[in-house]
Amino acid sequence: MTVLEMRDVSKAYGQGAGRVEALRQVDLTVGAGGMVAVMGPSGSGKSTLLTIAGSLEEASTGEVLIDGAPLSRMSRNDKARLRRRMVGYVFQDFNLLPGLTVAENVALPLELDGVGARAARAAAREALDGLRLADRASRYPSQLSGGERQRVAIARAVVGDRRLLLADEPSGALDSVNAEAVMRLIHEACKRGMAAVVVTHDAQLASWADRVVFLRDGHVVDQTAPLPGPESLLTPGQTS
Amino acid sequence: MSTALRERPAPAGAPGHGGVPARRAVIRWAWRLLRREWRQQLLVLALVTVAVAATIVGAAVATNTPPPASAGFGTAGDAATFQAPDPHLASQIAALRHRFGRLDVIENQAAAIPGSIATFDLRAQNPHGPFGQPMLSLVSGHYPERPGQVAVTSGVAATFRLKIGDLWRQAGTPRRVVGIVQNPQSLADEFALVVPGQVTVPTQVTVLFDAPGVIPSSIGPNVQTPHPAASGNVLNPQTIVLALATVGMLLIALVGIGGFTVLAQRRVQSLGLLAAQGATDKHVRLVVRANGALVGILGAVTGFVLGLAAWLAYRPTVESDAHHLIGAFQLPWTVIGVALALAVVATYAAASRPARSIARVPIVAALSGRPAPPKQVRRSALPGLVLLGGAAVLFAYSGMSNGNGSGSLELVLGLVALIAAVILLAPACLALLARLGGRAPIAVRLALRDLARYRARSGSALAAISLGVLIAVLVSVLSAQRFGNVLDYAGPNLASDQLIVYTPNGQGGGPGNGPNGPSGPVTGSKLAPMAKAAHDIASALGSHDIVQLESASASLQHAASGRTWNGQVYVATPQLLRAFGITASQVSPGADILSMRPGLSGITKMQLLFDPKASPGVGVGPGTGNGPGGNGPGGPDSFPCPKNQCLANPVIQEVSALPSGTSAPNTVITEHAISTLGLRAGISADGWLIQTPNPPTAGQITSARLTAASAGLTIETRNSIPTSSEIINWATVFGIVLALGILAMTIGLIRSETSGDLRTLAATGASSWTRRALTAATAGALGLAGAVLGTVAAYAAAIGYAWNNKLESLSELSSVPTSSLLLILIGMPLAAAVAGWLLAGREPAALGHQPME
Amino acid sequence: MYTQYYSQHATEWRDVVSVRHALLALLSEGPKYGLQLREEFEARTGEVWPLNVGQVYTTLQRLERDGLAESDDDGDDGPQKGFRITPDGAAELAGWLRTPPDLASPPRDELVMKVLVALRVPGTDVHQVIQVHRRYLVELMQQWTRIKEAEAETDLGLALVVDAELFRLDAVIRWLDTAEGRLKRAGADPPPPSSVALPRLRRRVGMRS
Repeated sequence: MTVLEMRDVSKAYGQGAGRVEALRQVDLTVGAGGMVAVMGPSGSGKSTLLTIAGSLEEASTGEVLIDGAPLSRMSRNDKARLRRRMVGYVFQDFNLLPGLTVAENVALPLELDGVGARAARAAAREALDGLRLADRASRYPSQLSGGERQRVAIARAVVGDRRLLLADEPSGALDSVNAEAVMRLIHEACKRGMAAVVVTHDAQLASWADRVVFLRDGHVVDQTAPLPGPESLLTPGQTS
Repeated sequence: MSTALRERPAPAGAPGHGGVPARRAVIRWAWRLLRREWRQQLLVLALVTVAVAATIVGAAVATNTPPPASAGFGTAGDAATFQAPDPHLASQIAALRHRFGRLDVIENQAAAIPGSIATFDLRAQNPHGPFGQPMLSLVSGHYPERPGQVAVTSGVAATFRLKIGDLWRQAGTPRRVVGIVQNPQSLADEFALVVPGQVTVPTQVTVLFDAPGVIPSSIGPNVQTPHPAASGNVLNPQTIVLALATVGMLLIALVGIGGFTVLAQRRVQSLGLLAAQGATDKHVRLVVRANGALVGILGAVTGFVLGLAAWLAYRPTVESDAHHLIGAFQLPWTVIGVALALAVVATYAAASRPARSIARVPIVAALSGRPAPPKQVRRSALPGLVLLGGAAVLFAYSGMSNGNGSGSLELVLGLVALIAAVILLAPACLALLARLGGRAPIAVRLALRDLARYRARSGSALAAISLGVLIAVLVSVLSAQRFGNVLDYAGPNLASDQLIVYTPNGQGGGPGNGPNGPSGPVTGSKLAPMAKAAHDIASALGSHDIVQLESASASLQHAASGRTWNGQVYVATPQLLRAFGITASQVSPGADILSMRPGLSGITKMQLLFDPKASPGVGVGPGTGNGPGGNGPGGPDSFPCPKNQCLANPVIQEVSALPSGTSAPNTVITEHAISTLGLRAGISADGWLIQTPNPPTAGQITSARLTAASAGLTIETRNSIPTSSEIINWATVFGIVLALGILAMTIGLIRSETSGDLRTLAATGASSWTRRALTAATAGALGLAGAVLGTVAAYAAAIGYAWNNKLESLSELSSVPTSSLLLILIGMPLAAAVAGWLLAGREPAALGHQPME
Repeated sequence: MYTQYYSQHATEWRDVVSVRHALLALLSEGPKYGLQLREEFEARTGEVWPLNVGQVYTTLQRLERDGLAESDDDGDDGPQKGFRITPDGAAELAGWLRTPPDLASPPRDELVMKVLVALRVPGTDVHQVIQVHRRYLVELMQQWTRIKEAEAETDLGLALVVDAELFRLDAVIRWLDTAEGRLKRAGADPPPPSSVALPRLRRRVGMRS
């Protein structure tokens, strides 16, 4: 079941001589349970792709559909509601609101959507439990390590019944062990039925995805083939 | 992990704003942020706190200082006062009792204090009477219960050296002192309380009763009802305090806009994150607005507590000054309530603009923490100019209808329009400033351009400074106008070392409207003891410098619509001229009038009214009457007036040696005019001007007043009306201090946004000189623009006011001392620039980026 | 196709890994039988590098010949023959552990050669060549990551081996990224055909076999 569909999406900034085409005719489809990594050098349009997919920016041309609903027909408030209910974001850093505890941060999208504080807090605790962060629930973001903060951000991105997780270099500011933990969590979320798009320039992190899309100069230039079973690696002699 | 939530509300109704839970979550976050970052908002918080506290103390003092309306009435609705001895007293009281039921009778008998001209009352009053209880309270001991007992006020106790338990023989009657009492409604009321029936020869009897719905005068001529002083008059203490509080909150709101803008910018990344989590624009705005309202609430509560504490600490002083007890919580709660609400409204409104602009920042730009690019809106200066013109017109209309008192609406509307005009014109001024500074050195150019670019905060700061200057200049101009009017002369009545003793026909029976009503003319036989008393007073004050003031039956009048003549015209006796060092050679032989009022000789359509047949002491025309121009022959509209009663265009000579007080002989009629017009017979003695070596003390004034009263005279001493220059000086100081204060508070905010530029400048090799120059230029430019804008607005209003306010000419507008204007227009910006230069020398600790967490 | 790509690398890597020293390391824990040694070798390396029994015994014989290990004298030559390490063997193992591998001279890297050659062949899109290799590498990494995801939580040895593999592949991808960036910058102004860069490189690469 398709969660995110981008059809022929282009995005240009500026006008005249200063015009920059960040995305050109990008097509991307992510189904439920699918994890797609977007790789590319800096300036290739990775982050733009993510912000457009998550309704933070509007495409210049083309159409983005989330769960079959076209973003172009939505008002600002509709998009805000979409972000509360369907789309979870994880950024490279600065994911949590200072001044709110971990549990409150995770409960925020639910509370913004009108869920009572008690029910939202309970859902947040459940999500934190799933990420083994239950003991951090009443701390403030400044009291957490970088890896913990990103894990909390993932908890917030999946809380409720979110369908799409968008992550922009989610482990860019972390060491490799914590980075791996973050990618593992995202992959686990996908195995539970979410769709995820992860933007990264790191091949090791991208390799957690089911599919890797290569972006260059705003174009999708290539993507990996579907994975065979892992046993193929361990028996090289038999296939060659 | 994806936790399914069954109780998500259906998206029916409103387009998904999340309802109450969402608002609660957003406000909770705003509160947390405020708790974490209250230091950054200390400025606005402190301003609100101080304003609220000052309003509470000010309102409490202003409304409680005048005696309570019920003073002398207790809880009664009516009081009948009988001057004893009255043969029908008993029957009248019986009639009242028959008609209205319950009565409270208070009998007073004036008693002398031996060796003193002061008196006290022997009072018979039932302490538990139906109406009189608020007029009596026990300080210690108990109330008298038997004829042989008395309770006295502490003043009486001190005078007669009494204490509880003493036996006091008063007027031959021995009584035991059983208590110390007071009249809470009038602490100056000195009396000795006895049980009813003990006052044998009452001099005054007050009967308190309730006659609801009955017109007091229909009961009897001596019946009164309490009438609150505040009601009826719009300019009562409550409205004045409220108006001041409103202006204060307006200034706070203007300063607050800058503060909240910086705050919103500092939180732009958090707000972007909030939006990325699905917060609508409404939620983002609510964060900033809630912050503003919370600051207001916090400031209001703190200010309320502080103000209440200050009031409770200050209350005893106010009570002793006002001579009546004041309940601890006897406060104008309506005014306080409105002030508290105003504080919240002001901060909420101040946060609203930054809230709107921050909600417009694209989410992606906000997330990256980039400051929102300043909006380049070319806002026309036209609405501001139109409003300024409208304000001037409204002021003109208020002047036109000033006579019948219906101009206050126009006045208020004009003020509102004026303030709105200043607020609207401020950003346009900044744009103009930036254009003017196009060729200035780099630091100045940068400072001016930044001021214009970041108008959200600099515009509001400029408006606040302009308003401060506007108030100061407006007060200066209007007071100069008022004080500069030679006809309706205003100012202090006398110099502080002057004192006038009036005979009953002087000043219409004396300015104090003392016990001596207008009596017959003072003739030679009556005058001698009065003159002796006046000389006694003078010698008691150590003065031999005493001048008799005489008036002829003549007065000046201005035969044109507008301000009318105000003041007494005394006779320029040789003695008077000598007293002020004016020699006969200085007086031109043809002069009819000598005056120190500058510009009086240039006024046209002046006429001298006179009545050669008048007997001495009866004034003529507007000079002695209260209604100007009302009873003089030939109204102001008939010019020239009848020849036999009036001299058109009298010759007026300006003599600056004459005293300037409004009650002093500042304008005198010459012997030449007296003899020409045949007024010699009508001359009467009005009083004596005593020049004392030192300003008399309060005690000396009191004893002089007593001496005068015993001879049927009244005295006048310097009143509290300030001089024009005092008002202008204070207004100037106020304007400069306010403007510099606002600058000091806002300059940091304004520069903080451009700290990035400073870093870049430092990286390109700029020295601390550049930093100093930038800050100095910012402060100086803001100060200058504010001074110019405020002055222009004030003059626009003043010209409008003068246009139709029957002022002689616009030239009076120029009577504001140039030094004051120069101080505001040049001194204040210069001081701001110098202070900016000096204070910007230190490298800011957190130059550049604020950590976002 | 990618398995083929992999196997070329895998052969090279097995040469680098010293089976001889690995067996010595296993014997340093205590005497072991030949079959046991093979099983433990495969288990410790996460079954990434399979060994056949013949290879194990050849190596053991060489160790015995060099005096680094000794066998049970009474046992027969079969899977049940026990081996133990000698003091010389322990010294050799300690010395080997501390001897850095030869990383100073560049290996003859086929991928580097292919990219260099692609530059010279007319009508070839180097970017496309690079992307093909990059995709293969990423696909390989995806498979290694799957293995890690499935088992590495419980098997530390496997995790280390897979990490090594992932970092190696990652390094190659980074080289491709850098190469592409360099080519892109030079793209507007291609080097003249008579460049001397290639022969000189060839000479240097040839230094090591």
